[in-house]
Amino acid sequence: MTFTVLDGVKAAVLLFLAAVLQVAIFSQAHVLGAVPDLVLVTLVAVSLLRGSVAGAACGFVAGLLVDSAALGELGLTSLVLTLAGYWIGRYGETTGRDRAHAPFLSIAVITVLYAFGLLVVHFVLGESAPAGAVLRGLAPGIVLNLILTAPVYALARRLLRPAERATLSTEVQLLG
Amino acid sequence: MLASSVQRSKSNPYPSKARSAAVRRIVLAVLVLAALTLLTISFRSPTAGAVHDAQGALSSALRPFQLAATRVAQPFADAYDYVSGLTSAKRENAKLRLELKELRAQALEYKAAAANAEQLESLLHYEQSKIYPKDYRPVNARVISFPSGPFTRTIAISAGSNSGIRVNTPVVNGDGLIGRVTNVYPDSAVVTLLTDSSSYVSARDLKTGVRGIVRRGQGDTLILDQVAKQVVVHKGDRLVTDGTRDPRLPSLYPYGIPIGRVAFVGASDTASFLQVQVDPYADLDSLDSVAALVATRRK
Repeated sequence: MTFTVLDGVKAAVLLFLAAVLQVAIFSQAHVLGAVPDLVLVTLVAVSLLRGSVAGAACGFVAGLLVDSAALGELGLTSLVLTLAGYWIGRYGETTGRDRAHAPFLSIAVITVLYAFGLLVVHFVLGESAPAGAVLRGLAPGIVLNLILTAPVYALARRLLRPAERATLSTEVQLLG
Repeated sequence: MLASSVQRSKSNPYPSKARSAAVRRIVLAVLVLAALTLLTISFRSPTAGAVHDAQGALSSALRPFQLAATRVAQPFADAYDYVSGLTSAKRENAKLRLELKELRAQALEYKAAAANAEQLESLLHYEQSKIYPKDYRPVNARVISFPSGPFTRTIAISAGSNSGIRVNTPVVNGDGLIGRVTNVYPDSAVVTLLTDSSSYVSARDLKTGVRGIVRRGQGDTLILDQVAKQVVVHKGDRLVTDGTRDPRLPSLYPYGIPIGRVAFVGASDTASFLQVQVDPYADLDSLDSVAALVATRRK
């Protein structure tokens, strides 16, 4: 998958908006003990569309933005989102390519892995790691992220059109 | 024909695939390493340093966007809160009603406890005062049942013969005499109140020394009976138990237990004695803690 400078700018704007909205609005929208994660959903969309390297880079930047805006431990979210973006990017490059359910499946899986990833990092750092609260909020969190997936992915797909289609040749010489 | 060429799609549509896996992994490793480095620096010096300053600058740069987003979203947030508040209002209302009910019950409980504490304090004060009768020890008890109807003037208390209480033992509260024991069980006793028609107490006016019998009058009032017309009794005079004057006719009550205050004094041509109405010190309708005065010396 190609990742041009223009794509980078678009992805950066998308993630910037997602990070700002996440910190300012979505982080306060508690539903059944969970909050929708717009940054994660946006990252999944970008990673699926632009591959693992772009996914990892976007995850790193998005994490920095979130940690800075929320004044958290710098690098903590970056670490987990980098791995998440890379993993989803690889999935998009291989198994999940051109599959309609890929964004939803990715979101469902990555929401769980992201939650546990953060839990593990917090635990390793010796900070408060309430596993019970994370587990209780997991199912509602997945549902909320799945609700966000369709519009966010549609927007990302509109901005970052799959590049491979342009590079694929459709010219066929008829035999006969 | 078979030899003619067919243009296939480019053999490598994914440039990232074309790059070596090593490059991809290097990028990931560099980013993870960078994140770990930031995390380490941030964790080691959370309040100072270049990373801290950079984070602060980035946060400051993001702040206007956050504020703008918050302001834009505020009406939606308010609408959400309103709808959410409406849907949860019924549940919350029921919960609050339940809480209110529990708190009311608790408040009543505290009020009763406070009243009881007040009575106990008053009782203790009486037991430690100079007017407490000698040769008697107090057996403190709680009132466990109250007059069950308009015809009974008895209460049950939580101490009985095991504590030394006998029939005719005087019973007081912190304010004064309330009656005497008329029936006794091992761990409880029945006290007949002053307002019972069978209750007679020899009393003495502390100021004038006039003697009489306190008994039930009309309704639930107490009167000082057997007071000759020619003696003087004033409204407001304090009445106490008269005690034993003649050893051959011992009184049930020791001398000096406060009974009440003279509320009214009157005389009529037809009556042989003064009409003296007495207002008892003890509130006989509100008794919680009492003391039975058990004689320490056999009579």
